[in-house]
Amino acid sequence: MRDALPAAERLLLAVLRNPAFIVVLVAAPIVLVLIFGFIFGGAIAVPGRATGGAGYREFLIPGLLVMTASNIVPSMVTAAKDNHTGLTDRFRSLPISRVAIPAGHALANLLYGVIGFVIMMLCGLVVGWRIRGNLIETLTAVGILLLFQFAATWIGMYLGYLFDDEETAGQAAILVMPVGMISNVFVPTSGMPGWLRTIADWNPLSAVCAALRQLFGNPSVPAGGVWPLEHPVTAALLWAAGLLAVFVPLCTRGYVRAGR
Amino acid sequence: MTTTDITTMLRRNIKSQLRYPVTIFAIIGIPVLFLLLFVYVFGGALAEAVDVSGSQDYVDYVLPGLIIMTAAAGLLGTSTSTSVDMTEGIITRFRTMAIFRPSILIARVLSSVLQTLASMLFVFVVALLMGLSPNATAVEWLAIVGVLALISFSLSWLGLAFGLAAKTIDAASNAPFPLILMPLVGSGIVPTDSMPTVVRWFAEYQPFTPMIETLRGLLNGSEIGDSALLTFAWCLGITVLGFIWSVRAFNRDRS
Repeated sequence: MRDALPAAERLLLAVLRNPAFIVVLVAAPIVLVLIFGFIFGGAIAVPGRATGGAGYREFLIPGLLVMTASNIVPSMVTAAKDNHTGLTDRFRSLPISRVAIPAGHALANLLYGVIGFVIMMLCGLVVGWRIRGNLIETLTAVGILLLFQFAATWIGMYLGYLFDDEETAGQAAILVMPVGMISNVFVPTSGMPGWLRTIADWNPLSAVCAALRQLFGNPSVPAGGVWPLEHPVTAALLWAAGLLAVFVPLCTRGYVRAGR
Repeated sequence: MTTTDITTMLRRNIKSQLRYPVTIFAIIGIPVLFLLLFVYVFGGALAEAVDVSGSQDYVDYVLPGLIIMTAAAGLLGTSTSTSVDMTEGIITRFRTMAIFRPSILIARVLSSVLQTLASMLFVFVVALLMGLSPNATAVEWLAIVGVLALISFSLSWLGLAFGLAAKTIDAASNAPFPLILMPLVGSGIVPTDSMPTVVRWFAEYQPFTPMIETLRGLLNGSEIGDSALLTFAWCLGITVLGFIWSVRAFNRDRS
């Protein structure tokens, strides 16, 4: 942990010196809320609500929070960049724990993830989203969100270490987008074809999203007999723990082998 | 001589485009990805708003918007490849040669139009595989090809202008992105009457909406009203703007 903190500090300082990243961090949540909340939102029906408008925006914000948490692109590009510039080689030569650098990245990501969540929540409050759960439920929801983002960061870093440069990692990022879309993040899965609905219902993002909607007291989708959607909080915690159990060792191994 | 120069430049541009598969993937991949997502993922939820029975019929509604998005994505390739030529100094070398100078610009526009039309055809084939059922007559099909060629031609001049005016390749590749997303903020995905007033006002008066409505009307064999006239007017305006901007940027000394 002592080794991880300087690594996190390095990444945070790099972010502060990158105004483009800060602009994207601030603008992305606003753009997503505007596009989905106002352009498509009026046409999308939410279970138990009239078509579109404020009802859909209440349904949408937890989904957008999960999309923000699951954005693996920054960690993917950062890992690929460190790999490309030879920084990973230099870090490996230092007398520090093998897991310190990836852990530092994950902690830094967590911090500016919190900033992204705050901006998204403020946007949500402006457009009519409300937290209707009690304090414990709300804190549990935020905890799940942070845990899931922490897990997603390790996935991003693992994939980033597989690439030789940040351009390739950035181009590969477009393939990540459908993973977030094929879920209940933006629309209820009931309107999807059967085969796609099964994938969407078992997508980890769907479970986390359903957990947030339940804990925040927002409109949710019918579970349809699918276990992760019937027990969303448990499923979200299990998914996060499972992803961490798989990707922390994989990422550490990827870091050790990167560029060799 | 003039025709020979244009043909030579056109051949060179097409060959260089084929050597950048990532750009081709971006131009074709983005609209196809959006087509798959909007039909299969959002189609069921949006079908009710556009008054169709499900994602199978929603493809008929959404395709025109995504075809126009493909035309806008073509801007990306034109802008980037033009900027690469400008920054790497090949244009400077062409200027010193005894060739018809406008052939450099004309060939770039023609190659862009051909690439964009090929991309549109690919997106259209994917839509047919997904269950698209057009009701166009032979005359309407000819009109569709003409409208798409006109839109591609006008947007190619704009893409060329972006590429010539941009100081870096990054700037040239980032500039067209708002235009690629503009068909979404029109009648491409959902009817404009489901949008809030301010957004609806923008969606109804932006250039891509009449283009989408014209294409949708021709494909489905329905009334297009004054959309065709507005499409022609917008295309003419964009072409004139792109042409003047391109010529000025091309003639400006960048050394």
